[in-house]
Amino acid sequence: MADPFATDMVSSPVSDGHRRRDRALSLLEDLERQVQAHLAASGTRKSDADQKRLLEELLSKIGAADQNLRLQGELDRERQENAILQEVSLRLSSAADIRDVLRAILESLRQVVEFDAAGIFVYNAQLGQIEVDMLAGYGGAQKRRVYTKFQEGVKQGEGIVATVVFTRKPLYVPDVHNDPRYVEVRPTTKSELAVPIFVRDEIIGAFNLESDKLDAFNERDLRLLLAFASHAGVALERARSDRQRQHTQRINEELALARRIHSSFLPKNFPNFAPFDLGGMNFPSSEVGGDYYDFMPITEHDLGVIMSDVAGHGVAAALLMANFRACIRIESRAHYAIPTILQRVNEFLVETNPPDSFVTAFYGVLNREHNVLTYSNAGHNPPLLLRAGQPPLLLSDGGPILGVLPGATFEQTQLNFEPGDMLVLYTDGVTEARNESGDEFGVERLAELTQKYQAIPANELARRISHDVLSFYAPDVAMDDLTISVIKYDGTESH
Amino acid sequence: MKLKSTEQNGVFLVELSGKIMGGPESAQFHDAIKHAISSSHKKVVIDLGAVEWMNSSGIGLLVSAYTTLKNSGSEMKLARTTEKIQSLLVITKLNSVFDSHDSVDSAIKSFN
Repeated sequence: MADPFATDMVSSPVSDGHRRRDRALSLLEDLERQVQAHLAASGTRKSDADQKRLLEELLSKIGAADQNLRLQGELDRERQENAILQEVSLRLSSAADIRDVLRAILESLRQVVEFDAAGIFVYNAQLGQIEVDMLAGYGGAQKRRVYTKFQEGVKQGEGIVATVVFTRKPLYVPDVHNDPRYVEVRPTTKSELAVPIFVRDEIIGAFNLESDKLDAFNERDLRLLLAFASHAGVALERARSDRQRQHTQRINEELALARRIHSSFLPKNFPNFAPFDLGGMNFPSSEVGGDYYDFMPITEHDLGVIMSDVAGHGVAAALLMANFRACIRIESRAHYAIPTILQRVNEFLVETNPPDSFVTAFYGVLNREHNVLTYSNAGHNPPLLLRAGQPPLLLSDGGPILGVLPGATFEQTQLNFEPGDMLVLYTDGVTEARNESGDEFGVERLAELTQKYQAIPANELARRISHDVLSFYAPDVAMDDLTISVIKYDGTESH
Repeated sequence: MKLKSTEQNGVFLVELSGKIMGGPESAQFHDAIKHAISSSHKKVVIDLGAVEWMNSSGIGLLVSAYTTLKNSGSEMKLARTTEKIQSLLVITKLNSVFDSHDSVDSAIKSFN
C-alpha cells in the first residue's frame, strides 16, 4: 500500500473560527473574479484606463487581504494547537488519576482533529498482550467487544492497533473495508488512523482514531495525534510508576506492621532464674522473620525454653509464628509431658496451616531444683551443650517438624546440668550464614566462639556471637533471620 | 530452580536442579505434582541430584508434595539427595518419613 501521506492533502478546518475565515476567503475569491471580469470587459477610452487602474489596485488589495487572511488562519491554528497541547501538559501535571488524564487528552484532541471514535491501548511487553485503557465513541456492546477481543489475544496481522504495536509505526487506513487487517467493531467506521505510543525507545501502547467518513485523516492529523500520543505516553508511564510506588509503599507498611507484631512477641528482658544465667538476641532479616524464642515461667522452679523457626519469610511466616506461639504457650500451661504438648501443637498446626509451611521447634523445661532440662526437639537445628573437656553435645532427640505430619509422635530426653555448662540455642540463620567464599558459619565455629566468650554473661555472649555472624555474612548474600539464646550454669549461686 | 518431568516405566519422574528456596517459582513444582495426580500416577520419584542449594522453604516443597501425593493414594520417593539436603532431612527428622535412594533406578525399583 502506498503511503497515503505522501500526497499533499488539503487541511480541513475544524473550529468555528476556521469556518468563518473560510467563508471570508471564498467571498474574496468571488470578488476577485468579478473585478477580473470587469477588467476584461473594459475598453480603451481614457475613462476606461482610469477605471482599469482602479480595478487593478482593488485586485491587488484583494490579493493582499486574501494572503493576510490565510496567514492569519495558519497562525491561529498553530496557536490553537499549541494552546491545546499546553493545556494537555498542564492537566497532565495536575491530574492524579490516569483515566482523567487520558480523558482530558481525548477531549483536547477532539478540539483540533475531527473523529468519531478513539482508543488508547497499553502494550504489556512481558505478557505480549494489548490492554484497552480508554475508549471513546463506542457503544456499550461495542466496548465489550473491544475488551473481549484484546483479552483473547491478538494474532499477528490482525487488527490495525495490533499492527501498529508490532510494527512500531503509524498506520493510516483510508478505507477500512479494503484492508484485510481491519477487525470490525463499529459498523459505521470507514477510515482509521493509529500511532504507536513510546516512552523513550520502548513501545508502551497505541492511540487510534476512527472516522465514519472515508479518507477522513490527513498529515496534520497524524502530526497532532503523534504529539498527543507522546503526552499519553508520559501519563501512562507516570501512572505505571505511581502504581508501582503505591504497591511498594503498601507492602512496606504491611511489613512494618508485621515486624512490630513479630518483635512484640520476643522477650524484651529475661526472667531471673538463678542459678541459671539467661540471654538472647534476634536480628530479623530485611523481610519479616519467622524466628521465635522465649523463656516462659511455668512454675516457680520450672521455666519453658523455646527456640523455633517458621519456614519462609514475610507476613505469612509471621502469622504462622504468632499461631505457633499462642498454641505452645497455652499447651505448655495445660500439660506437663513435653511429648503431649508437641503432639497437640503439631495437630493444631496441621489443621490450620497450608501444607508447605511448617515450624521447627526446640522445647524444653528447665528445672532449677534439680538443674535438669527436659526437652524434645521437633526438627529444629540441634542446640549445643558445651561442657569443659568434651566435644559439643547436640540436643537433637525428639521428633519431626511441626505442622505437616498428622499423628507425629515425640520423645523427651533429660539433660543434667553440670557447673560450667553452656547451652546455645539458635536458628539456621546462624549456622547457614555464608561468607564470600560460600562457606557456612557452621556449628563448629559457633561452638568455638561460645567457648571463647565463656566468661561473658549470657546476654552479652548472645550479642557478641550475633555480631560475629553478621560480620561473617558476605555483603551480597541475603540475610536470614538470626536468633541465638544462651543458658549458662556456673553451679555456684543458689536460688 | 529448574524442573523437568518425564515418565519412566510407569513412574512419574521430577528432576529438580539449581537452588530450591521456595517462593514464586515453587508454583511449577506444585503444578508438576498436580499433573502426576491428575494423570493417575501412583509412583513419583523426585531426583535431587542436580540441586545446588536448598533451604527450609525447599524442604517445605518436598513435604507438601509428599502430603498431597499421600492423600491421593500415591507414593513419593527421593533420589540422589545431596549432602546438604541429607543434613536438612536429618535435622528435620524427615529422613524417617521420606524414602531416599542413591540412584533414580534404585528409587524406581523400590516401588515393587
